[in-house]
Amino acid sequence: MSAAGVPKDLHARIYAETEWSLSHKLRHAAQSVVGRAYPRIFGMSREPSWLFFDLVFPTLGMCSFVFLLRSRGADEAWISATILASALLTFWTSVIWMMAGQFRWERDSGNMTLYITAPVGLGSIALGMAVGGAVGMAFRAGIIILGGSLLFGAQYEIREPLLLALTMLLGIAAMYALGVCLAAVFLVSGREADHLGDLLNEPMQLLGGLFAPVRSLGIFGLLAIGILPLAPAADAMRQLAVPQLAASGLLPVPVELGILAVMFVVFSLLSHFSLAFIERRGRADGKLLTRAD
Amino acid sequence: MESCSPVQIDLTSRTSRPFGPLRGDAADAARSLIASARLAWAIEGNWAEPFFLLVYLIIRPLAFLGLFLAVLSIGGALNPASIGFVVVGQAVFQIVGAAMQGPTHALLDDRERYRTIRYIFATPSSLLPVSIGRALVKALIAAISAVIVIGVGALIGMPMRAGGPDLPLLLVVMALGLTSIVGLGIALGAVCVQLRNDAWGYPQAVAGSVFLLCGAIFPLDTLPRALQLIGAALPMTWWIEGVRRALLGTASPGLLGELSTPLLLLVLTVGTVLITLAAPRLFRIGIDRAREKGYLDRSTAS
Repeated sequence: MSAAGVPKDLHARIYAETEWSLSHKLRHAAQSVVGRAYPRIFGMSREPSWLFFDLVFPTLGMCSFVFLLRSRGADEAWISATILASALLTFWTSVIWMMAGQFRWERDSGNMTLYITAPVGLGSIALGMAVGGAVGMAFRAGIIILGGSLLFGAQYEIREPLLLALTMLLGIAAMYALGVCLAAVFLVSGREADHLGDLLNEPMQLLGGLFAPVRSLGIFGLLAIGILPLAPAADAMRQLAVPQLAASGLLPVPVELGILAVMFVVFSLLSHFSLAFIERRGRADGKLLTRAD
Repeated sequence: MESCSPVQIDLTSRTSRPFGPLRGDAADAARSLIASARLAWAIEGNWAEPFFLLVYLIIRPLAFLGLFLAVLSIGGALNPASIGFVVVGQAVFQIVGAAMQGPTHALLDDRERYRTIRYIFATPSSLLPVSIGRALVKALIAAISAVIVIGVGALIGMPMRAGGPDLPLLLVVMALGLTSIVGLGIALGAVCVQLRNDAWGYPQAVAGSVFLLCGAIFPLDTLPRALQLIGAALPMTWWIEGVRRALLGTASPGLLGELSTPLLLLVLTVGTVLITLAAPRLFRIGIDRAREKGYLDRSTAS
């Protein structure tokens, strides 16, 4: 022990405790992911009202579109596609409010400071949020498809279930990766964030061709399919689950899968940099990550 | 030395209750309403530069309209009558949604976000005009979006009434409709302050249900019979139909279209009077109960 009371081996001890092996880092990251995903998956059993609201909004929207289609005498295949789109919409809504808006909400409730001071990377926390959100929403999406099918007699003809599963997986992964990128934007945007969330709702449903074919949007549809994961995911899923509507697809399914894969990689890289940015800026100026009041 | 004599307050009397939400004379109420409307404008209209606010007010409702028109085009080529039906329904529902959710959001904002509701209770202001003032400004901002939607509708081929809008009819149905919706909104607010969880979600859920039932984007006849009856009992259904007749000069297809305009106005008037009589009483009961149970300090955001 030195005269000042500081252990002589302090530097070595800090180094030993913070320089983990790769396996230790991976194990720790995995534990962090599971820890953050847990409340999102099991939280609904403790708060049934969350499940209610997660189901009621897409269901009401779905019913409106179904009745609108019926009032126009549209093909029943479009009603099946609308139910599928409503299921996909639960994921998109989760991406907007439970991913993009989450860090801002955590900041306002005081948790963001804890995240930064805890020995856990923001990447692990974001991945846990995404995994938990996607698993929780998959349950809700399943209920919507089941309920919608029973209510409106929708039918699906899935000839390539593995391809459909891969499309859903890539689509959801790309959407949640985009959600992490947007989390930084929401955090920086302050009180405009709520309105930003609103702007990502209906306008993106239109651009993403969720309830009507993206092909009908012309040049905007092509643009959307290149930057918005919702567009290729919805278009490919419609082609795979409702083959009668395959002609409404903008691009062949394998091409849209490729686009989703590229989006996933690009958005994952961007999210890595955006998380590093907010952590660096938050630590530097002490304002971004702490609640205003 | 000055002496202080204790003030006797009869807490059991409903008429002389000093701390209820409906106190003060008309002038106090008017002052509270104007002050809360100014506050609401600062909250709702001051979060961005005017240009960005206008862009926001334009983009979202037009995207909503585009979404419905895109779905509508699935069933075949769009005809002007269908465009007019959807445009007016969607435009008016902007106001319905805002006015209906306004009072609840104002109460919950003051209780949970700004934590000022306890201070409003401690002032001579009455909570009812405060809530109404906030709702009216939200409705006014939504009305800007509604006008933009109708303008775009006219540009894309919506058939307007020959000789221009029927302004007297439009003014009457707007006044009646707005009064009834704000009335329903304050009743909803009084219910939502009682809730233990997720009080923020219920107004949106109610507005979503009303959107489905009131024939905003498809004729009421498309709904199953039981839902048609519920839809017919909603003042918004008659309001939207009245605005369609005033702007388009034609009635909706189906059941509503068969009714004469005077009968439509009569139904809307009766509904509005009933709501106007009941809503402040429900509001008073709800707020009194919330105060007595200590719910005015509660936070339901999860």
